Amino acid sequence: MTVIAGAVLLVAAVVFFLLHPILSGRHASLHRERDEPTEAESRRRVTLLALRDVEYDYATGKLGEEDYQALKRELAAEALVALTDAEGESSASRQDVPWLEREIVRLRGGLAAGTTCAACGSANEPGSRFCAYCGIPLDTPGSGSAPDGSAPRPEPA
Amino acid sequence: MNVLGELALWTALPVALWGAVLAFVAGARQRGDLQLSAERSIYAVFFLTVLASLGIIDAFLNDRFEYLYVASYSNRSLDTFYKVAGLWSGQRGSLLFWLLFLMLFSSIAVWSNRRQNREFMPYVVGVLASIASFFLIILLFADVNPYAKLGFTPADGQGLNPQLQNYWMTIHPPTLYLGFTAFTIPFAFAIAALLSGRLDSRWIALTRRWTLLSWFFLANGIVFGMRWAYEELGWGGWWFWDPVENASLLPWLSATALLHSIQIQENRGMLKVWNMSLVILTFLLTIFATFLTRSGLIESVHSFAQELRIAYIFLGFMSAIIGVGVVLILWRLPKLRSENQIESFLSREAAFLFNNLMLLAVLFAVWWGTMLPLFSEGFGGEKITVGPPFFNAVNIPFGLVLLALTGIGPVIAWRRASKQNLKKNFTLPVAVGVAVLAALWLAGARHGAALATFGIAAFVMTVIVVEFFKGTRARVRIEQERWPFAFLHLVARNRRRWGGYIVHAGVVIMFAGFAGNAFKAEIRQTLDPGETAEMPSPLGHSYTLTYEGLSTTLAGAAPVRNVRWQVEALLRVEKEGRPAGTLTTARRALIAQEDMPTTEVAMRSSFLEDLYVILSDVPDLRGALANDPNAQTVTFTFMVNPLVGWIWYGGMIIALGGLIGLWPDGVATRARTPVRAPARAGGPVLAGAD
Amino acid sequence: MPKNGRFLVGLVGVALVVSYLIWTGVSETMVYYLTPMELVTKVTADPTFHDVGVKVGGRVVPGSYEKRATGHSFVVHDVEDESVTFRVEYAGDLPDTFTDSPAMVVDAVVEGRFREDAVFEATTVLTKCGSRYEATPEGLAAG
Repeated sequence: MTVIAGAVLLVAAVVFFLLHPILSGRHASLHRERDEPTEAESRRRVTLLALRDVEYDYATGKLGEEDYQALKRELAAEALVALTDAEGESSASRQDVPWLEREIVRLRGGLAAGTTCAACGSANEPGSRFCAYCGIPLDTPGSGSAPDGSAPRPEPA
Repeated sequence: MNVLGELALWTALPVALWGAVLAFVAGARQRGDLQLSAERSIYAVFFLTVLASLGIIDAFLNDRFEYLYVASYSNRSLDTFYKVAGLWSGQRGSLLFWLLFLMLFSSIAVWSNRRQNREFMPYVVGVLASIASFFLIILLFADVNPYAKLGFTPADGQGLNPQLQNYWMTIHPPTLYLGFTAFTIPFAFAIAALLSGRLDSRWIALTRRWTLLSWFFLANGIVFGMRWAYEELGWGGWWFWDPVENASLLPWLSATALLHSIQIQENRGMLKVWNMSLVILTFLLTIFATFLTRSGLIESVHSFAQELRIAYIFLGFMSAIIGVGVVLILWRLPKLRSENQIESFLSREAAFLFNNLMLLAVLFAVWWGTMLPLFSEGFGGEKITVGPPFFNAVNIPFGLVLLALTGIGPVIAWRRASKQNLKKNFTLPVAVGVAVLAALWLAGARHGAALATFGIAAFVMTVIVVEFFKGTRARVRIEQERWPFAFLHLVARNRRRWGGYIVHAGVVIMFAGFAGNAFKAEIRQTLDPGETAEMPSPLGHSYTLTYEGLSTTLAGAAPVRNVRWQVEALLRVEKEGRPAGTLTTARRALIAQEDMPTTEVAMRSSFLEDLYVILSDVPDLRGALANDPNAQTVTFTFMVNPLVGWIWYGGMIIALGGLIGLWPDGVATRARTPVRAPARAGGPVLAGAD
Repeated sequence: MPKNGRFLVGLVGVALVVSYLIWTGVSETMVYYLTPMELVTKVTADPTFHDVGVKVGGRVVPGSYEKRATGHSFVVHDVEDESVTFRVEYAGDLPDTFTDSPAMVVDAVVEGRFREDAVFEATTVLTKCGSRYEATPEGLAAG
């Protein structure tokens, strides 16, 4: 007897569980959430990681000086493109164009000074050890030491 | 409970079908309410499958022999541990077990994406629910229902094959099944990406995580199987190129290829069609693996009896997968164009691509060798088979190249590497490799492939150690951390890279373990009590084994609960004259399974070798059991297996590396909502943050 | 696209090497897998077949086991036609699952060569208990 009761209960519970959304009108979202990365933001993140890899490869002697500088320039340009795409997606206003240009200039400076956080992308005061926005420790002036210990040339502006 | 479990199984099918239909409708018509219902159906099927599984376990624990499945794989005297494991001991239960894990992962996938990847989810749920429906249809209608009843209740069951009553054999199927079923998720997302047209880089990260998870379980599962074979099958071997073994290797090979080639897509936007195809291929191979094991089409010591009905159903399913995959990829070809090209042959992209080609070559060779009996009989009329000689001959060259690549990959930069830098970085590792090779040669080792393996292994280990050293040193300089912390932070900040290197180290050690087999030694000797055998090891020293005598046990007084009879030989071991413990090897039969005696081997494992002893023959078993003094002469097979322990150590290191790679990032993957609009500048960060 | 062209050449190259290795591997190591009936037929038709390595799958005849000086010996019959039988001789250790007990159905796969004196000289013996993997209702009813 209890088995039959249990069985009926089980099936009823399942049916109710399934039909409830349709009956009550509850919806699951089918669109991108606001704080999910867009395609451009993902691409930006990937480019930044690639830049990180290039720095590392240079510091551990896998890349020669020329290749390093060339790759860094290429990747910085790609990062810029991805960045402006991302910015373009989130703000979209035409009047922001001059603001964007200022940001691009700042970006180039930030790349050289290494005060930008790779995790959240925010700029920090020079000499900061930790990112003020997300708290992750910054690694120091992002251009790492060359295998022979000498400091690299500054990024051409 | 059993009745409830069986009902749960039947209820699961309409629920799964409901979910499948509703999810696709929700996607087509953008109906969020239907989607929610569909997602709930995944959770519901999981819950019902858990109930069904519990029902089976309950049946085992309560000796319900009216169920055919329970009667086939259990008996009253079976250890409780193996009764619980009865859920996956045989064909029927293992299908349910597969479904259980499938639904577990499906539920996790749906739950973890309830607030992200929402555009994919209708299709993801649709695919997952369809696959669940497939397995439910098989379970309920293909004569493989674990709840099938006999129509009468036997007094006792048949019991579990004694060779399966082993710890490794118990965890080997679940681990493999975790690996197989986990790959359903990346497959579902791939199909969802193709259907929705969203083929950008977002699904890569997701695919990579789930692929790594699946790969991790597959690798462990395969190693557990090897350990079981080594311990239990009693031939001193761990891999026989048995069709079922091969079947589990195939998806692992393509998953490994995918883990590498997906990085190229991530970095350079290339190989999109290639990766899509690999995802579909890997999923196909997981289904193929279960198909091969269950259909009995290729004979194997593992496979279940030949079941043609199931064979056809699985063949149909696999054809559908191929068909759907090909059509979808062709349809979306324009969106799958590569964004870049390979710039240089001296680049990590090229190395990864070559790695893929090698892995696929091995995959094809193994698949071909496995299927040969079927193809030759079908197309040629006569059945031909190939065995270990074939597989070794074809795979060893590719294996060596792959091994070398694990050492080349880390040293080559992305996009393009400088030749001079490469030469500089390779000097030390190559020197070490050659030195090791020369040293072994001078010591007298003469096996070509084994020597090559050791040399390449040394080369790769040097590369890896130097990488860790350089990376840590860079952190020490920049961050002014102390070495141990620098090392830990190095690994923690880039788990993918360093986890990968650790996996490579494990692979290298494992390959060295394989190569040790080339120097294996074996002696067969008949001894009377008190007599001694001399077993020289290839490493130079020698073992002296003294056969002390036999001890017998008959049911009742046995340490292992369900032993019917056991004849155990005791040997005293000395290594170069110094006492080195004792070994026991036995022949025994379990209660209710007296017609299936097994041999339990003895092992003395040390870092560099295993001393392995098999009680090969007890000529007068009756006499021995009666403690007849004239029946004490027995034959032993003594083996020394050099470096076999390195296979297990290597396996553990691979697992460790995999875990490190799987460990979730602390850094959020979501873009931060800005407080104001700050300068979003990205800075290159050294040797660290992910 | 010269770079892609080179990649394609590499791909084709690897494909050729794989095919070559598989081809030679198969032709050098392949073994016919026959039933006892097929073996006997083949040997009668072509006596040189006595020297070819083959793999034969048959069933152990209950009660046929003999311990000889040369090793183990037992008889297998064809699964389809029980009248086709031959004796197997094997010098190694028989697997644990081997038995000639009439209560068990034991399938044996032997690899080796079929001598002129109609005895199969086996280099490998693998056995599988057919009825153990899935109980039959009859088997269970019999207890």
